Amino acid sequence: MAYNVLIVDDSGSMRKVLLKTLRLSGFELGKCLEASNGREALDVMEGEWIDLIISDVHMPEMDGVEFLKSLRKMEIFSNTPVVFVTTEANEDRLRRLIDLGASGYIRKPFRPEEIGTLLSRIMGEPNGFVAGRSSEGCDF
Amino acid sequence: MVSLPEEVLKDVISEVFETMFFTDVDFEECEGGGGTFEYGSETRLVNQKGCIVLKMRIGERFARMITANFLGIDEAQADEIDEDELVDSLRELSNMVAGGCHAHANHPEWKLGIPRAWRIGTEKEDSTRSVSGLGFTFSGQPAGSAALEYLPC
Repeated sequence: MAYNVLIVDDSGSMRKVLLKTLRLSGFELGKCLEASNGREALDVMEGEWIDLIISDVHMPEMDGVEFLKSLRKMEIFSNTPVVFVTTEANEDRLRRLIDLGASGYIRKPFRPEEIGTLLSRIMGEPNGFVAGRSSEGCDF
Repeated sequence: MVSLPEEVLKDVISEVFETMFFTDVDFEECEGGGGTFEYGSETRLVNQKGCIVLKMRIGERFARMITANFLGIDEAQADEIDEDELVDSLRELSNMVAGGCHAHANHPEWKLGIPRAWRIGTEKEDSTRSVSGLGFTFSGQPAGSAALEYLPC
């Protein structure tokens, strides 16, 4: 099954790295959409079906926490998995993300396999994704 | 105010370079990295009493190499990386090093600020080409320097 993914990060470089990491882990990508903050992500989601959101926490304009709160109020996306990839280190703030409905988080710096392992669990593929299934290759 | 020993900064920088930029650096006694550098970055950790500013300086050749590694670009094409991608990658580097320092400080009041990076001399930013702190080298050549400054509010 191919998943539509939305990557939300104010760093274009980090969005590229996350996309490459998804491909490397064998994650079967449908559409891959990008946004540079929570506000932009909500705009993108008005016209697209999204299966999984990977988001930063610290972003200008609308941060990850506000984005998650807004998302959970939208009936159609109230159960869409959201994974945070963040430099946030404070355990209380990370736990709050889970309390608000995040599916998980990964701290930067991360190893590609950490992303693959977490996403396979969240997306209900406990045996993991098959590396190399992406049609665009894995040249990371 | 918390303080972070230099060993913590070394560990954090090493981890970030190894994990995300696939690069090993060496640390040297020569204060400020033994060179002058083309790129600067800053990230602040803030609480009600003051802030810790992570300042980094990175040489252009090294910046291009680590950006190529970060983005999965062939190192032979490092000279073709555009300025925006280079600065954005250095901003992420600063963000991750500051985040690592934040994790070691382990104090709930501190909040991580939005990182900044710039090419020295092209922005209205700090134009010093070296910071007095921890220098690091790559393949024996000065690659950059990093320092934590403690400022009151």
